[in-house]
Amino acid sequence: MTLRTLIVAERHRERRRLRQAGACAALVAAASVLLLALSGWFLSAAALAGGAGIVAAQAFNYMLPSAAIRLLAIVRTGARYGERLASHGAAFGALARLRPALYRAITAAPPSVALALGRGEATARLIGDVDAVEWRFVRLSGPWGAAAALASGAVLTLLGGWLAMGATLACAGGAWALARYAAGRLEQPGRAVQQAMGALREDVAMLGGAAAEVRCFALEDWATARVAAAGDRLSEAQVRQAAVAAWFEALHAIGVGVAAASALALSSAAGAPIAALSALAAAMTVDGIAPILRALTESGRLREAEARLDAVFDAVEDALPAIGSRGPSILTIDGERFLPGSRIALTGPSGCGKTTLAEGLLGLRPLGAGRVMIDGRDAASLPPATLRATFAWAPQDALLMAGTVRDNLHIADPHTSEDRLWQALGDAALEPVVRALPDGLDTWLGDDGARLSGGERRRLSLARAYLGEAPWLLLDEPGEGLDADVAAEVAHRLDARLRRTGQGMILVSHRPVLTALCERQYAADDASRRSAA
Amino acid sequence: MTTIAHDAPTSRMRNRWLKDAAGGRDRALGFLLFDTLAAIGFAGGIAGAVAAVAGQGALWPWALLMIGMGALRGLFAMLALRMGAVRAGAVKRTQRWRVVAASLHRQAGTPIDSGLLATQAVDAVEALDGYVARFMPARRAAAIAPILVLAATACASWVAAVILAATLLPFVAAMILAGGAAADESRRQFVALYRLSARFADRVRSLPVVLAFRAEIREIEAIGTAAEDLAERTMRVLRVAFLSSAALEFFSALSVALVAVYCGFSLLGQLPFAAPETLTLARAFFVLALAPEFYAPMRRLAAAYHDKQCAETAADTLMPLAEHRRTVPVPAAAPLGLRDVTIHYPGSDVPAVSGLSFSVEAGETVALLGPSGSGKTSVLHLLLGLAPLSAGTVEAGGVPLTSLAGQASWVGQHPLLIAATIRENLLLACPQADELAIRRVVAAAGLGPMLASRPGGLDSPLDTRGSGLSGGERRRLALARALLNPAPFLLLDEPTAHLDAHAETALIATIASAARGRTTLIATHSPALAAIATRVIHLGPAA
Repeated sequence: MTLRTLIVAERHRERRRLRQAGACAALVAAASVLLLALSGWFLSAAALAGGAGIVAAQAFNYMLPSAAIRLLAIVRTGARYGERLASHGAAFGALARLRPALYRAITAAPPSVALALGRGEATARLIGDVDAVEWRFVRLSGPWGAAAALASGAVLTLLGGWLAMGATLACAGGAWALARYAAGRLEQPGRAVQQAMGALREDVAMLGGAAAEVRCFALEDWATARVAAAGDRLSEAQVRQAAVAAWFEALHAIGVGVAAASALALSSAAGAPIAALSALAAAMTVDGIAPILRALTESGRLREAEARLDAVFDAVEDALPAIGSRGPSILTIDGERFLPGSRIALTGPSGCGKTTLAEGLLGLRPLGAGRVMIDGRDAASLPPATLRATFAWAPQDALLMAGTVRDNLHIADPHTSEDRLWQALGDAALEPVVRALPDGLDTWLGDDGARLSGGERRRLSLARAYLGEAPWLLLDEPGEGLDADVAAEVAHRLDARLRRTGQGMILVSHRPVLTALCERQYAADDASRRSAA
Repeated sequence: MTTIAHDAPTSRMRNRWLKDAAGGRDRALGFLLFDTLAAIGFAGGIAGAVAAVAGQGALWPWALLMIGMGALRGLFAMLALRMGAVRAGAVKRTQRWRVVAASLHRQAGTPIDSGLLATQAVDAVEALDGYVARFMPARRAAAIAPILVLAATACASWVAAVILAATLLPFVAAMILAGGAAADESRRQFVALYRLSARFADRVRSLPVVLAFRAEIREIEAIGTAAEDLAERTMRVLRVAFLSSAALEFFSALSVALVAVYCGFSLLGQLPFAAPETLTLARAFFVLALAPEFYAPMRRLAAAYHDKQCAETAADTLMPLAEHRRTVPVPAAAPLGLRDVTIHYPGSDVPAVSGLSFSVEAGETVALLGPSGSGKTSVLHLLLGLAPLSAGTVEAGGVPLTSLAGQASWVGQHPLLIAATIRENLLLACPQADELAIRRVVAAAGLGPMLASRPGGLDSPLDTRGSGLSGGERRRLALARALLNPAPFLLLDEPTAHLDAHAETALIATIASAARGRTTLIATHSPALAAIATRVIHLGPAA
């Protein structure tokens, strides 16, 4: 599925509300044109009748126009309310389906694409892109309003003659054509803003990661000035962008003035009331196309947002179905055979590829062909679903989700019983901590478990791994940030749990108290590989 | 993504802070008021032109006035937009400066969080843009511009002015009613929308876990349900919000209609009461054309309300930042002495280092050896005042040490590389170094072969990721930089991590010669590197 087909489908699904929004927008525009035109005609005609003497004044039918003026005012208000309600309803309706569809696409993309989206700026841009696409639904009623303004404006100015009508439509058309031209020129500053923003983010990230160096060499002022300079370049780009965008405002105001003046002058032969009607109708006609002029300023940004989202949809791969049994699996790593239920400690200095291997086992990054075999099949060619059913993972960074304790545990098993949840928390030596939280399992933890300490986060991640039904536990640094007593407790309970469940374990850890649980040490780096029974 | 704080500051504090941040005099406001004056001129032009067609003088001067005033309106609107952007740039510059300075000069023990810094220095600061550029000028204009229109109207017809003023009262009442309840509601709504975005971003961020536990389908469904739920609630809120803007519109339409009807009847001589004033066509038309302008500034303000909400969320992040205090570097001299030092970061269960004692004599090379997580880096950070001293003492030359900042050189795992030439990258540490000094440190750090392979030599450019440099070359570059800085202390943080055995051996020899003559501390897990030290301090794992 591509973004375009998705948007087409959403437009179809929301067609009722979109039509309603369009009709209301048309009503608003037509009522605005009529209201002002009629008011102008009414005033001038009344003045002429009043000036012609008492008989003419009394013969003047004032009831109909003054009632129509009030009616139009009410219609315009009501229609605008209806337009807003319908167009926002359509946008939010589309939102509720676009986001899940996009998330589906992200999960189905190859891990390299999907995981790249999870880094700060990429995520922020993704959210901005989704917003841009959603807001296009709100804007879809714009052309209807513009068309209605043009139609009613044409009819009314025609009362003042062909020339008046021609001039009005020419002004509206001219404003639109110039706006399109300006929209083309907006793309370059728009991209400059994007680039300057990216450069600023890069500078800030670079400084955030170099705190010690900055402090050591007393580079604080240099660093501040550098970020300020990047910020200034962004501001300059934004000012240039605003300068182009400002042309749209100018075009609008000048268009209104020229349309009103020319319609009035060209229909002056038809008398003051018609000239007044024609002038105000012309002004409101140009005013009525303002929504599509404003939408033009956004068109470049929208195109880029759609192109980026399309790239996500394009990357989707057809998921291979999971194959193989869920039973115990025999692992072979670099030719080394490990029977089900084995406990293996992956060793080696930091940076030698232990975490890379762990993530490869989960299909989160490419794995060298033939390096790992599961039940005699090459893991590199197994579908990710099979790999992920084989290993229950506690990641090195103890990544948690924004949500409650329960939300985080349910990721591993959504249908588990309350007892199993507490059992897993108990085995991770976290039960007393969770019991002491104000809402227990339902306590909101914030982003990445912000409410918990580093060690507690790690143990919650461990409990999550315990809940995953898999023949192998894959634990990456589960002892990091734990004090000696807690680490010993975790090791003791892990040992008991493994005996109970019969699961195997692949452990990455520096802590002797944990690695002592393993009967096999296995060096992950090629240089110093040794295996001891 | 920022989290919206649970104990958010009160809206009064927030508003005051935002107002102070946005600053006082504002040229965008001036242009908005000029725009209103031009609108008055335009109404005059159209009124004169209609009267001219009705037989009172020449048409063309009035038509020219209309076009001229239309052009002026365009000009002023354009200038207001530009000035707003310029001003927003200035405000953002101040705030960005504040954020970065607060982060770089932070107190010891505040954790280094580059994600938070990015959120504050980029996202939160940028969120102030619309507030300064659009909302503030619109808000100030909304207080003055209607009075200008009212005064102009009163010159032509005081009755029409009274009608406008009278419709203003129910309008303001509606604004206050809607403002009190709906503003609160709409802020909650904004927060909810923000949370949905944050949830989506969070699920993208935690994708590895979602994938590893095969929870994709459930998360897709959960995102759909949350979005549907929000859509439903949003529409309930929006109904109220749109109703209040409909009320706004209704009063504006009503005022136009009332003015039109009054003027019409007055011109006809058919008012049901004694005519309070004599109206001409020109005056009547002027008043009619001006009536919509009376409400325009307030509608512009309502349109900019979203900008205010964004800025309020940003203010919650930016307000609590402490004004940074500059610490004046105190000269420090060897020997360094640490006694019973404990480093315990706030919010962590376990101290990173506890009860550590050792001393470093002048010119000595000391290695801190231990696996990752044993607190080696924390000790180096402590010496720079980046980590908190929770217990014990640190002395340099017999006096308590606050920081070695400015008197030490640093070589880390991920050297700071900027998009500039290699020479400029080296000069960061010591801008006044001469060519000879550069050549000497380049040779000492073993950068010769790398420079020889690049056509530009020292003047070849690097990008921020240092692409084209191997891990070893980066570390050598950092080492050369550290040597260029004639500081008495040299701190090395895992200088050989992630290097293959061959590169490590080569680098260790370079480090050994570089350390001569300086008081050196090396944090490492590599026994080979530790072997060049005069003394090795073991930092063991807890168990």
